[in-house]
Amino acid sequence: MSTQNDTALTRIGQIAINAHDVDRATAFYRDVLGLPHLFRAGQLSFFDCGGVRLMLDKAEKPEFDHPSSILYFQVGNIRAAHQRIKDAGAKFEDEPHVIAQMPKYDLWMTFFRDSENNLLALMSEVPRPL
Amino acid sequence: MSAPAASLGIQNIGQISIIVHDLPRATAFYRDTLGLPLLFTAGNMAFFDCGGVRLMLGPASSPELDHPSSILYFRVPDINAAHRRLMEMGVKIEAPPRLIAPMKTYDLWMLAFRDPQGNIMELMSEVPRLL
Repeated sequence: MSTQNDTALTRIGQIAINAHDVDRATAFYRDVLGLPHLFRAGQLSFFDCGGVRLMLDKAEKPEFDHPSSILYFQVGNIRAAHQRIKDAGAKFEDEPHVIAQMPKYDLWMTFFRDSENNLLALMSEVPRPL
Repeated sequence: MSAPAASLGIQNIGQISIIVHDLPRATAFYRDTLGLPLLFTAGNMAFFDCGGVRLMLGPASSPELDHPSSILYFRVPDINAAHRRLMEMGVKIEAPPRLIAPMKTYDLWMLAFRDPQGNIMELMSEVPRLL
C-alpha cells in the first residue's frame, strides 16, 4: 500500500533539452552559460545546474523533436550576466526588465536563445528598499 | 561564442514554463494527481513548487512557443509505489518502471507517463545497490 510519502515528487532531478548538434550545444552550455559539464555518454551530454541535471540529447522520434520548455536560470546580477552572454555572441530577445513587483523584491527577466534556438531566460530577484 | 563565462553566476533553475491549453485540467493534474503544492494562480497562469523550482503552467504567448514541454524528470523515493498510485489515478503510463542505468552505487530507475496535455514526463529514482 502506497503512502503519500513514498509517492511524493520531491524535486526535479533532470530536464531533457533537445539539441540538433550535441557538440555545439555542449560548447554553449559549458562555455557561454558556464555550467559544469558532468559527462558525455554517446549522443547524451549532461550538465549540472544547482543540483538539477540537464541532459542535452538529439530527439529520438519526430514527436519529441520540438524546442525546450523555457528554463529560467537564476542569477545574482542579471545585467552583468546579460552582458556576458551577449558578449559571447548569443542572441537576446529583449533587455533585462522588471516582469513583476513582488512585496519584497522586483523580479527581473531577460530572454535569449541557446545555440539550438531554444528560448531560455535569466531571472533575478532584486530586493527592494522599503 | 568563445568568451568563458565561469563567472556568469547561474545559481540554479528558478522556473520552468509548461504550455497548457486547458488550465483547470492541468492545474487539477499537477495538484491532485502529482501532489505538487499550488503556490498561486495569476490570470491564466498557475504556479507550482517542486522542491524549490517553480513550474509555471499557462498558455503560449506566441504560436512559436506552442509546443510540448521538455521532459521533466521528477525524483521519487519509491518508483514502484508511485507507479501504482499513477495507475490508480488513471494516468497514462508510457513506459513502466525500468532500469535505465546501473551506476556505481545505485541503480537508476525511470518511468514515463503523460500529463493531460500529452506532455511526456518521467519519474526517476536512485535505488542504492547492495555491495
